Amino acid sequence: MMTMSNFPLAIIFVLGAMLLPLLPRQARSWAYLAVVSIAFVFLINLEAGATLSFPFLNYELVVSRVDRLSLAFGYVFVIMGFLGGVFGFHVKDTLQQVVALLYVGSSLGVVFAGDLFTLLVFWEIMAVSSVFLIWARRTPQSRRAGFRYLLVHAFGGSVLMAGVIWHMVSTGSILFNHFEGGIASYLILFSFALNAAVPPLNGWLPDAYPEGTVTGSVFLSAFTTKVAVYALARGFAGLELLMWAGAIMAVYGVVFAFLANDGRRLLAYHIISQVGYMVAGVGIGTEMGVNGATAHAFAHILYKGLLFMGMGTVLYATGRSKMTELGGLFRSMWPVLILFMVGAFSISGVPLFSGFVSKSMVIYAAELEHQGAVVLLLNLASIGTFLSIGLKLPYFTWFSTDRNLKPEPVPPGMYLGMALTSAICIAIGVYPALLYNLLPFAVHYQPYTASHVIESMQLLIFTGLAFWLVMRKLHAEATITLDTDWVYRRPSRLAYRVFSVAPASLFEAVEQLSLRLARSTVRLGANPPGYLLDTIRTIGHTFFGTKKPVPEPETFSPDRYRIPLGIMVLVVLLFLIALLAWDVIT
Amino acid sequence: MRRWIVVFISLLVISILLDLFLVVGEGHDGFPWSHIAGFFALFGFIGCLVLMGVAKLLGHYWLEREEDYYGKNDDDE
Repeated sequence: MMTMSNFPLAIIFVLGAMLLPLLPRQARSWAYLAVVSIAFVFLINLEAGATLSFPFLNYELVVSRVDRLSLAFGYVFVIMGFLGGVFGFHVKDTLQQVVALLYVGSSLGVVFAGDLFTLLVFWEIMAVSSVFLIWARRTPQSRRAGFRYLLVHAFGGSVLMAGVIWHMVSTGSILFNHFEGGIASYLILFSFALNAAVPPLNGWLPDAYPEGTVTGSVFLSAFTTKVAVYALARGFAGLELLMWAGAIMAVYGVVFAFLANDGRRLLAYHIISQVGYMVAGVGIGTEMGVNGATAHAFAHILYKGLLFMGMGTVLYATGRSKMTELGGLFRSMWPVLILFMVGAFSISGVPLFSGFVSKSMVIYAAELEHQGAVVLLLNLASIGTFLSIGLKLPYFTWFSTDRNLKPEPVPPGMYLGMALTSAICIAIGVYPALLYNLLPFAVHYQPYTASHVIESMQLLIFTGLAFWLVMRKLHAEATITLDTDWVYRRPSRLAYRVFSVAPASLFEAVEQLSLRLARSTVRLGANPPGYLLDTIRTIGHTFFGTKKPVPEPETFSPDRYRIPLGIMVLVVLLFLIALLAWDVIT
Repeated sequence: MRRWIVVFISLLVISILLDLFLVVGEGHDGFPWSHIAGFFALFGFIGCLVLMGVAKLLGHYWLEREEDYYGKNDDDE
């Protein structure tokens, strides 16, 4: 029975996406917010423990499975869907509004899916709907990046499907619970890790996210990777491989972020880094670890959305997002800087901002398990995060060289979206119970201890000192950075040559050859003696340096090649002489 | 410039003192660095320099390429 307690939220979004294009253009932004608000009402009426299932062939499809883990992700997805709609209120592009609804809805579909079929269906809808947020920018770059994004996710989806079918055949169950190993679960793990952008499966993320629209990238930054974190937490909590992958990923992201020139690409690399904390928390797998991963996903979605809103606003107003082309925006865009810095302080884990109460939980989970290396790697990633987002990116965007940019006015909805998101980031930082009460397990953790605050402040202040010492020597470079997307981007040219250009030129060569053969045959048939003479003269010209031949006429004329009468008489006489001579000798 | 150095050094001293009185005594988690006052200040400073250095070296010698490395973006095929 479908009731309020087990209502599948995805339905609301799918219906909304179908109705939205039928409404008048002016009403669509309101309608978008209305759909998300209705979903929120249904969300707060969901009850942990409720399920909704239908028989399907010999299996049971569980389209809705509500528990504390799925609820925590559900809350933040709906909240972020709303905030993204406020930020994008000015957007008059129906395509973007519709696919945003589908994207949010299918993310919720995955999070509340209790079986692997439902999960797979929503997983694919997520990939297909999100790519339109990239294509909607309508530039050649975004079109290509979108195709690459789609191909990577189609591949991931196929691997997931293979894993699901294998799992179904080998265990006889399609329920989505903790996986117990075996080839099927490794296939599933692969596809989850691809969506979580775990290196070396990370290339698609910094390739595609910076090419999305101003509002589209805000949505992109929030959903795909965090849905994957949820799926990993559900299926693979406690897998030690993930703990190490996460810790390494956190540092990997910050190293590459430091090399990025495009501000939104820098932020995209920090998604990889931040998801690293979550993957590490999932890998630790204790209650504290999974709580930490969930809390960090929650906080991260909001502050990363805020950061993408900030850089998106700069892009909207100036048309630029590369640090080599930005600078000196402080005077004209200081309110955006302030809101951006709320996000930057949150992601850096400054006390009283949301990252401080969430990422520390993952680090604390690692401390409890005595994983010293993980603790140090995650702290190193914190340093890099503050360095790139707290210091370098704002320095090169709002200060540094003044490029006399004249920013366009920014719609009020964008400011409102950023302000609301900032308010939540600060609220969570100041009053962590807001977040902790939503977590899947009871929280036995206090972020505001003297040692934690002092250690964090030491880390941040001295990161700042190191940056300040080398700040004048740093300069953004107009380059791109190779990443694992090289594997399918660069050899694709080789593949293009081998499989497309080479056969085409081979066919063309054969065609040319047969045409020439045919032409020669025609000429030979039309004027055999002329052709022979031409050939002999050409050989003579080429090899013996005789004078360049004048071509013979194309058609045969008997008079041209008739041998003079005198020569014939001479030949006959010579022949007679030869006969006589022969007679005399014999 | 000098004023800022003074600010940072006094912050370092203050944080180490706070560390000594409030944190190290607790010995809260038993890692080798838990008993070093000001460890995270040092870690932040050196870690930041190392990160920047490693990133720049990696970029310079291996990873950084021209912007049209993957082909020009402005052609319309």
